[in-house]
Amino acid sequence: MQLSQELIQKVIAEVLAEVMNGAPAPSSAPEAEVSGIVCTEKGKAARGTDPREVVVAVTPAFGTTFTKTIVDVPHAEVLRQIFAGIEEEGLRVRVIRVYHTADVAFMAHQAAKLSGSGIGIGVLSRGTSIIHQKDLNPLSNLELFPQSPLLDPLTFRAIGKNAAKYAKGEQPTPVPTKNDPMARPRYQGLAALLHNKEARFIDRNKAPMEISVTFEG
Amino acid sequence: MAQQKRSKRFEVLENRAVHKDGFIGEWIDVGLIAMGSPNDPKPSIKVQNGKVVEMDGKTRANFDMIEQFVADYSIDTSVAEEAMSKSCLELARMLVDINVPRDEVRRLFGALTPAKLAGVMAEMNIVEIMMAMQKMRCRQTPANQAHVTSAKDHPVLLAADAAEAALRGFVEIETTVGVVRYAPFNALALLIGGQVGRPGTLSQDALEEAFELQIGMRGLTAYAETVSVYGTESVFVDGDDTPWSKSFLASAYASRGLKMRFTSGTGSEVQMGAAEGRSMLYLEARCVMVTKGAGVQGLQNGSISCIGVPGAVPSGIRAIAAENLITMALDLEVASGNDQTFSHSDLRRVARTIPQFFPGTDLIFSGYSATPNYDNMFAGSNWDIEDVDDYLALQRDFRVDGGLKPVSEDEVIAARNKAARAMQAIFEEFGFPPITDEEVELATYANGSKDVGTRNVPEDLKAAERLMKEGVTGIDVAKALAKRGFRDIAAALVMMMKQRVSGDYLQTSAWIASDGTVYSAVNDPNTYQGPGTGYQMSEERWNEIKAIPWAVNPEDI
Repeated sequence: MQLSQELIQKVIAEVLAEVMNGAPAPSSAPEAEVSGIVCTEKGKAARGTDPREVVVAVTPAFGTTFTKTIVDVPHAEVLRQIFAGIEEEGLRVRVIRVYHTADVAFMAHQAAKLSGSGIGIGVLSRGTSIIHQKDLNPLSNLELFPQSPLLDPLTFRAIGKNAAKYAKGEQPTPVPTKNDPMARPRYQGLAALLHNKEARFIDRNKAPMEISVTFEG
Repeated sequence: MAQQKRSKRFEVLENRAVHKDGFIGEWIDVGLIAMGSPNDPKPSIKVQNGKVVEMDGKTRANFDMIEQFVADYSIDTSVAEEAMSKSCLELARMLVDINVPRDEVRRLFGALTPAKLAGVMAEMNIVEIMMAMQKMRCRQTPANQAHVTSAKDHPVLLAADAAEAALRGFVEIETTVGVVRYAPFNALALLIGGQVGRPGTLSQDALEEAFELQIGMRGLTAYAETVSVYGTESVFVDGDDTPWSKSFLASAYASRGLKMRFTSGTGSEVQMGAAEGRSMLYLEARCVMVTKGAGVQGLQNGSISCIGVPGAVPSGIRAIAAENLITMALDLEVASGNDQTFSHSDLRRVARTIPQFFPGTDLIFSGYSATPNYDNMFAGSNWDIEDVDDYLALQRDFRVDGGLKPVSEDEVIAARNKAARAMQAIFEEFGFPPITDEEVELATYANGSKDVGTRNVPEDLKAAERLMKEGVTGIDVAKALAKRGFRDIAAALVMMMKQRVSGDYLQTSAWIASDGTVYSAVNDPNTYQGPGTGYQMSEERWNEIKAIPWAVNPEDI
């Protein structure tokens, strides 16, 4: 828990600093830290026409304010694994940053609606993920991974792979569900802090932006 | 710098389970505070021509949508000025005073504002909250709800576990999924298993709202609970909802004769980063009032899935009991939480349940995990099936009715086996992927999904989709069961379908007995007014609770 305590204090200190200085929450993504990835916004995300693409939606804080998940998987590793999963099925990946919501279901549904295949993935900074399809209700899903502390690099790869399989019209076996009943007592307070930080970058009037991702090192 | 010399005592303490729990200091600006935030509004009300024109320091023109809704639909304006003129302390004393009848408290509390409700709770300590619960819950006889889920969404195991849960005395059973497309099978498993364990058991499938309504209307579930309401406008809007849209959904259930309740709980708003600096309990008071205003009969609260948040801050578990009490005081059924893991410490786990277990609530747990927690797809409950003998012992130790009864291994095995065989027959009748005799055997004797095999998931999912596409209803299930010789289960299913026509179980806090009789706040109202009144355990029930099978019988020695 020691790392988590440090993280809590860091988040609180940062947010308090913002409040003290009276600075408004930034409406666009802040400068990149050492996340291992460089994201460049390429303009408003358009609806894709390529049936062989999967769209991944991330939050403004992903890879910028935050650099790793709640269990310290670097964001570079998260994306590298999801990309690898999609690419080993022979499909393309496109990444968007969603500003109008930090609800992972709505983010993924947005990605699915912009995806040429109709399949999208949503990922929060803390790791919470979901595979979505454009014709489903926003709060439904193809596969949901709600327990962020249980998501390791291989799970992210499996998420990418299964999303690609859905995009190809296959019926893959869902990624085996992990369940740790003790994740909540250990991590929920922390998750609440992280989400409060994540939600500070919401801009209800800003459309999703397409981003290009390059991996460093 | 040299390592500071450590106390062996403190090293021992640091390795105790409680140190694995998350504890966080209050952070008032974002609403990470259980009760009494300095940012909470001060109670006030002004009524003109039967309309609330000012509430909690805000004029009508400045109401957000939640305030507008509760001002228009939740507050009894004919009583508002009388009720609001009483101090929070006076109202708190009425809650615990045995000489003030429940009806009088209810009359006044139906006219309080959210800030006033939160203010009344702030005057009460935890024992007073429990005393008030004993008096204020709607239904006199307490009951209990279980979770029945499987990490593998294994339909045979789910049916067996549902049968056992019903046999053990849970009047309601609830499932959800690991993989969402398994949902139709999970509903089917609980429907069948529940009626095998005890005819009259109410079952539900907690899922996306449109789907949940659809399977309810089909007769594959008997009630719904996962219709969430929130205490701030932005969280509501984030979910594409308003109090009006939730009310509309509630009326859709009522129109088909289906029981339903809303769900809310402290901590959800701050968990979603949108508490607007208000305390968790103040926001929850708004949720309870939205529920009341929507005309819904009951509410599941007690933090529920966000309990890690109030559980981490000071006075959080007291706030959770207080939110249950607000619900009761507004004359709503309460399914009072205790349904989610919140601590590694067995001591904290038990203490968290005391405020609902000793006074009794409509549904003490919402629910108790009827499977081992590793199979609990609500991410774990505060108590699971491996704790059940402890629970039975507590009922017996304190002569408390917690809704469960001791059962023998033989009757559990028989019920599990019958439910598994009924599922096998249904799958064959409907042409779903076969359930083998081995699967029936494994599910019968299993503790959890580690004890059963893995099914062909893609094939099951295709069949589950077909069940929805072909429009299979509860009556189709009953017909197939009758055809295969399970006439008693078929009869129970038909009885459950008839309940939607008579609609008696739409009354507040209803459950259905084995013979189809509905018990609710209408025919079993809480009449507690001090010792010797209210719920009195019958001799028969006490004998049942006493008879834990592992107690030594003096006559045998």
